[in-house]
This record gives sequence, structure tokens and C-alpha cells, in this order.
Amino acid sequence: MSDVRPLPGPLTGLRILELANETGQFCGKLLGDLGADLVKIEPPGGEPNRHVGPFLDDLPHPERSLSFWYYNTSKRGITLNLETGDGRRFFRRLAATADVILETSRPGFLASLGLDYESLSSQNSRLIMCSLTPFGQTGPWRDYLSSDLLHMAAGGEMASSGYSEADVPNAPPIAPGGGNAWHMGGHFAYMAIMAALVYRTVAGRGQYIDASIHEACALTTEAAIANYVYRGEVLQRQTGRHHAASPTPRTQFRAKDGTYVCALVAGRLNPKYVGELAALLDTNGMAGDLKDPKYQDPAVIAANTSHIIDDLVANFIASLPAEEVYHAAQSRGFTWGAVRAPEALLGDPHLHDRGFWKEVEHPELGRSFVYPGEAAIYNGSPWRISRRAPLIGEHNAEIFCEELGLSRGELSVLAENRVI
Amino acid sequence: MSRPRALENIRVVDFSWVRAGPWATRWLGAFGAEIIKIEWPENERGRLPSTTTPQTLEVNLNTSGNFNDTNVNKKSVTLNVRNLKGLEIAKRLIAISDIVIENFSSRVLQNWGLGYDELRKIKPDIVYVSMSGYGHTGRHHHYTTFGPVAQAVSGLTYLSGLPDKPPAGWGWSYMDDTGGMYGAMCALTGLYHRNLTGQGQHIDLSQMVSSVPLNGPALLDLTVNGRESRRAGYPPGNRAHWPGTPLVNNYRGPIVAPHNAYRTDPGEYNDWCVIVCHSDEEWQRLGQVMGAPRWATSPKFVTNSGRLQYQEELDRKIEAWSMTLGKYELTECCQSAGVRALPVQSAEDRVENDPQLRHREMYLAIEHPALGLQNVQNAPFKLSETPAWNHLPSPLIGQHTREIVEGLLGYSHEALCAGFADGTFWPTRRPRFPYIEEMLQ
Repeated sequence: MSDVRPLPGPLTGLRILELANETGQFCGKLLGDLGADLVKIEPPGGEPNRHVGPFLDDLPHPERSLSFWYYNTSKRGITLNLETGDGRRFFRRLAATADVILETSRPGFLASLGLDYESLSSQNSRLIMCSLTPFGQTGPWRDYLSSDLLHMAAGGEMASSGYSEADVPNAPPIAPGGGNAWHMGGHFAYMAIMAALVYRTVAGRGQYIDASIHEACALTTEAAIANYVYRGEVLQRQTGRHHAASPTPRTQFRAKDGTYVCALVAGRLNPKYVGELAALLDTNGMAGDLKDPKYQDPAVIAANTSHIIDDLVANFIASLPAEEVYHAAQSRGFTWGAVRAPEALLGDPHLHDRGFWKEVEHPELGRSFVYPGEAAIYNGSPWRISRRAPLIGEHNAEIFCEELGLSRGELSVLAENRVI
Repeated sequence: MSRPRALENIRVVDFSWVRAGPWATRWLGAFGAEIIKIEWPENERGRLPSTTTPQTLEVNLNTSGNFNDTNVNKKSVTLNVRNLKGLEIAKRLIAISDIVIENFSSRVLQNWGLGYDELRKIKPDIVYVSMSGYGHTGRHHHYTTFGPVAQAVSGLTYLSGLPDKPPAGWGWSYMDDTGGMYGAMCALTGLYHRNLTGQGQHIDLSQMVSSVPLNGPALLDLTVNGRESRRAGYPPGNRAHWPGTPLVNNYRGPIVAPHNAYRTDPGEYNDWCVIVCHSDEEWQRLGQVMGAPRWATSPKFVTNSGRLQYQEELDRKIEAWSMTLGKYELTECCQSAGVRALPVQSAEDRVENDPQLRHREMYLAIEHPALGLQNVQNAPFKLSETPAWNHLPSPLIGQHTREIVEGLLGYSHEALCAGFADGTFWPTRRPRFPYIEEMLQ
């Protein structure tokens, strides 16, 4: 029998050291799930992010943070106190054979310990080091404190998101939740690291990357910057749809079940579209006057835009549950979607077909849990969660004894001296 | 600049359009890859309709400001891939390229005869990144998306808003930006893998599916704890927790107060600051910044649990103070005292008023033949050896057809002219821009 092994991930063979808090752990997950041997280095006692909920069964504990679990899959974990001489010595030894170091410490911190890129690369010229920090290594804000909400404010996300005055008077700008500032920073940092890795395959040398989350967020508002640069426009927030220089028709409609549907109609209303729309609305007897031949005249359509959107489309959507509208519309070629809460995704047959949900074993609990899977299917080198997030110092023996050659006795001494 | 480029000698055949695909290849171009954008003027959805053409210019295929920003670092070839001759030219280009990237619906490239099985016959180690709405597999692969639809279906829209109000959602196509990120990430990862192993592959990216992992902690709260997001107090506006609702984590970091947006002087549309205190110490520092008012040290506000319990009153009192300061002034007062605060910034604020972005040269001007000298967004990372930078403005449509067809592929000038006459390089009945006429001289 031949030994059929699963294909390795595209980053198999890379050793990556992650010295990251909540700002950089997502970037580490992206690298680890694609096959890199990712070693997460936490301070003794564990990374503070282990205290961020939600927690398994709502019991706060550093090994029960679901946020930490999610963002630290496919990593091994060791503890190391870099503020001790031994800690720095071991870090240097690990850095000597690492391909990439991903770090999120405050600017100047690693340099103050003699662990900056210059010093580490002098013993490993192939080393790539990415510092992913809130504002980058230079500039008047480089030492400012931040949080996800702060980045969504300064990056421009909030200025674009919120409510139309008619829907919610005096509403503040709204920051979408979910930690997306960290996602934005992580995506760009991943790109920069990969570009440096590709370059290294040709040039043989590593390099240093100074990545800024503020800049990543400032880059992630689609055309808002272009609207200002080219037209001097400052955009207004609108309920559930694009910012705009002047009000645009709504795209979010309440369905029969009280949830919403995103239906992009305005701007597409030509005679062909209106014919198809009439057929869609007619499936539930809601076409109204839309089948009237007068709607084959673009001028009539233009004069009746509000009637079509605010009466006919709105009433059709109000007559059915959101999921039914979504599938009826999409199967007829309309780019519409149900505004779903995350719980609706678990039963989504399309995600099921793509093998999206993954069972991840937590052997210390004797249980396994369902995790979200991959953004993209790599047909030649699959994405996979190789292990659940590490327990605190779980791989200390593997790394310090088996790799760096310490004895178990020496390891206990390090633990007693709070080096690990 | 003679610095080396990370993607020197890498060529990308870019069939993508609108936003997500072009946003992906923009970054590959910034790293130095040669991006050859295949376009067709009758069927173009990134250049037109344009809402970002300067008021002083005519709206046409070459005057969209957003197109310019999204398509710097590229070359444009006009080519009718739906005709046999055009398809043959596309294949010759693919044979000497490294990456093919597109963001059509799931079966379009296959229907053109350019599915992965065909592509690998033309170029065995090609890295093919498809960026469709729902991916190339799965029962809904034929469904289509724009950013807002991907955001809706994946749960991203729902997590933005005030409790008991309709979703506020995202005020732009977040998933066109982020879908673009994933397109570039997939291409770079596939390229790295190819360089190491010699193997190409098809990477099947889905805009809708790639939105789902951005809800990770909420999804684990569901699969592990059984907690649904349709619940009282969720989403909690800008707060970590909505007062008067069960005290649970809402997936935006620690459960703390203050954690909100506050009006600032002079109270115009975008005069807001956000302030967050992660600890009682940070709260004490904010108290000092506010001038140590007595209420800030009253027992109900000294602990985080008290501040959460009396959050409405807390926020009113903070706002009474924040309205006395401008948003940049407030930011500086807070940050210099170790308090987390930043201004809500519009696009104008980012371009004109943000000292950090100015210092980091986030917006630098590039000369565009139709739009003139205009600020373009730069990379959010600085690579010490191979900096990513914008070296070309966006191309005029078909600007590089001759350069690529004659110069790179070696067709004769007569063949080029014949292709223009027979509708391979430009629709025969469509007026041609002067630079196209010049190309045919």
C-alpha cells in the first residue's frame, strides 16, 4: 500500500516566531493555517489577550478565552521573559534559525533589549522581521495608545458608517465591531511578509518591514479618499448602505421575519432589469403595476424609481422571510443577500459543500469544537488548522529541550527564575 | 529609484474589473510585478460609471479618480477575448506570465476556454487566482456578489449598529477592499509556493466565504457556548457593552467603559472623538485630563463595573467635557496623559489634517495624463530592501496595447493594425482616443 499523505500547506517549512498581542495574532494565524511552523512566544503566565472573552461556558480563565482560541490556531506556544538575560539569549538562538519574526511591541522596545532587526539579522541574513504596530515606527503618533475602536475612528471607517438622519436622528458615526482594525492590519502585514519571502527566494536575503495599522485602516474605505481628492466631497453616512455625497435610494429592506435584505436596485433600473424584477416580484404575486408595458420606457422608469424601490421592492421583501427573498433573487440573477446574523451561517449548505467548517480537537478538554475555515481553497497546497491554540507554555519542553538541547532540570530552573 | 523590487520579473495577466480584483493587482504592482490589465471598452465596469471624475472634466473611460487610485502600477491592453484571435493572443500572453487573476462569476473563464486545466496546458506552473463571489465549488457558486451583499450574507453587516435599530452596516464595500487583500495574499502565497516547489495551482477565493472568518469570536461563542448574536444589546453601537443588558462580551475587546464616541467642538458632522479606558488607572488619568472633576472620583465611577452600570450618565458627563475641545486638541490632551483617544476622521481629515499620515507620506502625487497631478494612496508598510511604491499612474484604456502586442509578444505592426480593423483590439464602430490613433501611425 502506498502511503497517501495529505498535501502540505503552501508555507510548510517556514519557521515563524510570533511576539504578538491582539494587534498581530490574526496575522500569525493566517501564516500558521497555511502551513508555517508558527511558534508563539508569550510572557510567563501568558499573553494578556487570554483574558479577553467570551470564555468557554462564560468562565473567565486564561485557557478558556474563545477570542484567544480563534486567533491562535495552528501555533505552538512557549513562554519567555525577554527582560531577563537568559530570555534574550534564548530568543537570539531561536531567531538565528527563524525565517520570519512577527512582532507587535511598542516602537523601540526590542531595540532597548538589543533585539532589533539589525542585531538579529547579523547572525541570520535571511531573517525577515515585521513590526506590526498601531502607527508604525516613526511619526508624531508612534507612541500613542490605541484600540480597535480608536483605529476605526481615525482610519475613516466611522465617518462612513452609521444612520441616515431620517432613520435615527442625531446618531453618532458607528464603528463596525468584530476587531476589524486588527484584521485590516493583519491582511496588509501578511502581504508584506509574503512579498519579502518571495523576494528572498530570488535574492537570498531577508529584510525589515515597518507596518502600520492606522495606515491599513486609512486605506480601507473604498472610494472615500478619491471622492475627496478628485471632487472635494465629504461623504454622508446612510443606513445600511454606501456613504454618499448626496442621498441615494435605500438598499436595506425589512423582510417578513423582521430581519433585513440587502437589495441593490437603484442605478440598475433599465427596461431589461425591470422586466426581470417584475418576474421576480410576480413569484409572490407582488409585481403590482410593474408588468405594465409602459416600464419598457427608460423615462417612465426614471420617473417611477421611488415607486419601484420604496413600494414594489419593499412590499415584495416584506411579504417573505429574508432567506427566501435571498435565494429567490439570486437564483434569478439578482445580486441580493439576506442580512444574516452569524448563527445563520452554520446551516448554510454552500459553506457545507465547500467543507468550510472544521472540527478542532481540544484534547485537554476531551472535546472538539467547530471553527470557521478558509477564505480561499488552495487546490494544490491546502489550508488547515493543524492544532488548537496552545496552552500557556505548552511547547516549552519541545522547543527548549528537544530543539535547543536543555535538560528537563535546566528547564525547571528557568521556570523557577521566571525566565519561562 | 533603483531599489530592487520584491516582484521583479513577475508578470500578471489581470482580467479583473470593478474593485476587488483591481485592488488586489494594485498591490502586486506596487511590489514591482508587471500587471497587464486586459480590458474591453464596451464592457468596462471599473472606469464607468464614474462618480469620482473631477467637476472640471468630462466623464469618460479615462477620467475616473477612483479608477486611477485603484489601478496605479498597471498597463492596459484592450483585447476582445470573446473572439478567437483575441483568445489566441491572451494565451500567448499567459504562456509567458506567472499569475492569472480574475474576479468574474464562477464559470466565465472556463466558458472562454481559459479554465485552470487549459491554463496549465499553456503554462504548467501558472498560479491562477479566481476571485468570484461564492467560489468555483459549492451549490451556490453561480450566485453573485458586490461588497455589500457579501457583507450582508456573511454576518458582517449585522455586527454594525445600535441595538433595536436596523443594521448600520458598513458605509462602503469593505469586502471589495478586503476581497482585494485576499486576492493579493493568495497570489503571493501561490507564487512563494511555486518558487519553492515548481508547482502552480488554482486558488479558489470567494468574496462571500472570505468574509465569514472575520466573525471568528462570535462564531465560536455560537459553536462553543451556543450564544446567538440576535440578542438584547447587540450590536452595542460604539460601546463594548450596552447598559441594562446581560453582561457578555461583544467581540470588540475587553468589556470596559468608557468606550464610545463623544461630540467635540464645534459640533459639526464629523466632530467626534472616541475615548476608551481599558483599566481603572486609565480612567484616573482621564479624570486628570478632564480637570479632576469631583464626579469622576465618586464611588459609582471609580471601578469599571460601576462605570458599566452607570454608563449613560458617564457618557453624558464625558461629552459635556469633550464638547469644550476640538477633536485634535482633545486627542493630544488625552494621549499625552496616557489615555486612549483619537478623532473620527473623514477623508478630508486624513488627507489634510492627520499629522501621522503626513509624516508617513501616505498620500503622494502622481501625474496622470488626463487627471493631472493627483494624490494617490500609498502602502501601509515600509520594506527596508524592496519598498512598495506607486511608480505608474493608472493606464488610459488600451494605452499599452502596442507595447504588449508588438513589443512583448512580437506581433508585427501590420498585425496590430489589422487587429484594430477587425475588432480584436478595439470595437470597430467605437470612436478611438487620439493616443490610440497615434499607436496606429
